[in-house]
Amino acid sequence: MPYINSHSNSRYISAFDKWQEQKDFVKFTKDDEEALKKMHPTAMKYADDFVEKLYEHLMSHPDTKRFLSDEKTLNRLKLAQKAYFLDLTSGDYGEEYFNSRLKVGIVHQRIGLPPRIYMTTYCYYMQLIIPTIYGNPDFDAETANAIFMALYKIINLDQELAISAYIHATDEVISRQSEEIMEMSTPVIQIWDGVVAAPIIGTLDSGRTQQFMERLLEKIVETNSPVALVDITGVPQIDTATAQHLIDTINAVKLLGSQVIITGVRPVIAQTLVHLGIDLTDIITRPSMAAGLKVALDKLSIKVTDMSKTTQGS
Amino acid sequence: MGCENTGECHIGSEGDIVTCRKVIRNVATAAGFGMTDVTRIVTAVSELARNVYVHAESTGMMRWNILQQPGKVGIELIFEDQGKGIADIDQAMEAGFTTANSMGMGLSGVKRLMDEMLISSELGVGTTVRVVKWGRIK
Amino acid sequence: MDGNSLSVIKLKNILLVTVPDDPGDDTIQELQNKVLNAIEKYESKGLILDISNVNILDSFFARTISETTQMVALMGGQTVIAGMQPAVAITATELGLHLGKAISTLDVDKALDIFTDNFKTV
Repeated sequence: MPYINSHSNSRYISAFDKWQEQKDFVKFTKDDEEALKKMHPTAMKYADDFVEKLYEHLMSHPDTKRFLSDEKTLNRLKLAQKAYFLDLTSGDYGEEYFNSRLKVGIVHQRIGLPPRIYMTTYCYYMQLIIPTIYGNPDFDAETANAIFMALYKIINLDQELAISAYIHATDEVISRQSEEIMEMSTPVIQIWDGVVAAPIIGTLDSGRTQQFMERLLEKIVETNSPVALVDITGVPQIDTATAQHLIDTINAVKLLGSQVIITGVRPVIAQTLVHLGIDLTDIITRPSMAAGLKVALDKLSIKVTDMSKTTQGS
Repeated sequence: MGCENTGECHIGSEGDIVTCRKVIRNVATAAGFGMTDVTRIVTAVSELARNVYVHAESTGMMRWNILQQPGKVGIELIFEDQGKGIADIDQAMEAGFTTANSMGMGLSGVKRLMDEMLISSELGVGTTVRVVKWGRIK
Repeated sequence: MDGNSLSVIKLKNILLVTVPDDPGDDTIQELQNKVLNAIEKYESKGLILDISNVNILDSFFARTISETTQMVALMGGQTVIAGMQPAVAITATELGLHLGKAISTLDVDKALDIFTDNFKTV
């Protein structure tokens, strides 16, 4: 385990390192851990009461009530809440604590519970806890202040973790969706025996080119097609990087033993290509997909006849 | 994390290059990498293992670790040799640079196949190359 | 995977070699030697390398193909690479590999077509 950790720069683990930095940044020290530990017996005493009050509060607002559908969920949440609350004053704020706080954000994102509810609920929580610090006969004023400050810090760190995890989970949903959109926006279809066509809509970045290349090449092999039409009518602008990606694709197709014809070269694209000094002279290019298809059929020695004209002529 | 997620291969002969490729093909496929990524990873292994075999005066080593993260998987490969070292790493990374049996695409090409690449080298002591590839679990 | 697992098949005036999936350096070197000897023996006009099983093409293999193509050309033959897998083609492109003067075809059938078409015109 330590061997693997020392060699893996996984974001997950480096995030934990980051959290240590966060603790230092807010000056969360051993003294704070000690102060929170002093609070633990009080927390134990009030835990059940707080959890009941908290859920009473949540159930009295329609905005929060909708997340607490049935009795079973409610009981499970109450137990989890109690454990969460007792963890606050456990005195141990290592990796296990870190992971449990991350999970809160991830779960909230999954069930669609907005950060607004999480934050305001925490605020209500504080209103329950604070009187038990300052009204506590066991704590002198100095101790009470130290506990309050430590609690303030750890709750701040908690919230940062949950919100960061929430944002991260949302980012993952977005990147998954954009990948799906990407796939849908570059279909590769067989349009003739021996000819596949791939209209590209939108900008070609390197991630997208890799995916596109894979699907184009697989389709070429699957359909045993010597010609592939790549239509760039839907590419808004072309830059050196995009052109390089196109050239890579063309070269990979050539290695398979098939040939790319670039179609949909609009005037503005032709101008840009020449101005950028990108040499596509070895590549067959045509202004339209129709013109490209003609070249493809010629290459395959396929002749298409307009039957109506033939009958009229004879 | 069991031992199947981490391991090492000795590189001392030409045949070991093929062994490294076969081992990593199995490891990467089992880890859930797609066909094209497996080919990229195995090709990088071939280049780097040959580099170790050709340049190392004595022998070298390949170590691998599977890295796991929610939603994605990574493979980390570390190649170490006790050879003569690389004098100018920047120059060695340029496309077209070659000192031995290759097309001069070795190191710069490997960088294009992988997501992360780090080389450290000391003349007369040896070279360590670390590469990582990330993939999405389907 | 040692050298003698490779066989060079003579089909009229061309040669066909099926390359194994993960050829070692010795196999690749053996391939070059066997091919050149066969070309000399049969005065073949062409060489088809069926690489449809090959799942790795690194710079050493690519360089050997490129050089073999040149050597075969010096002896009067044309080399055709048949059936490269998509993943291999993508990796080779990203790695910046070139196969020199070798022609690629989608499969062995299309490679044979090239030779029959060429011979018709000759």
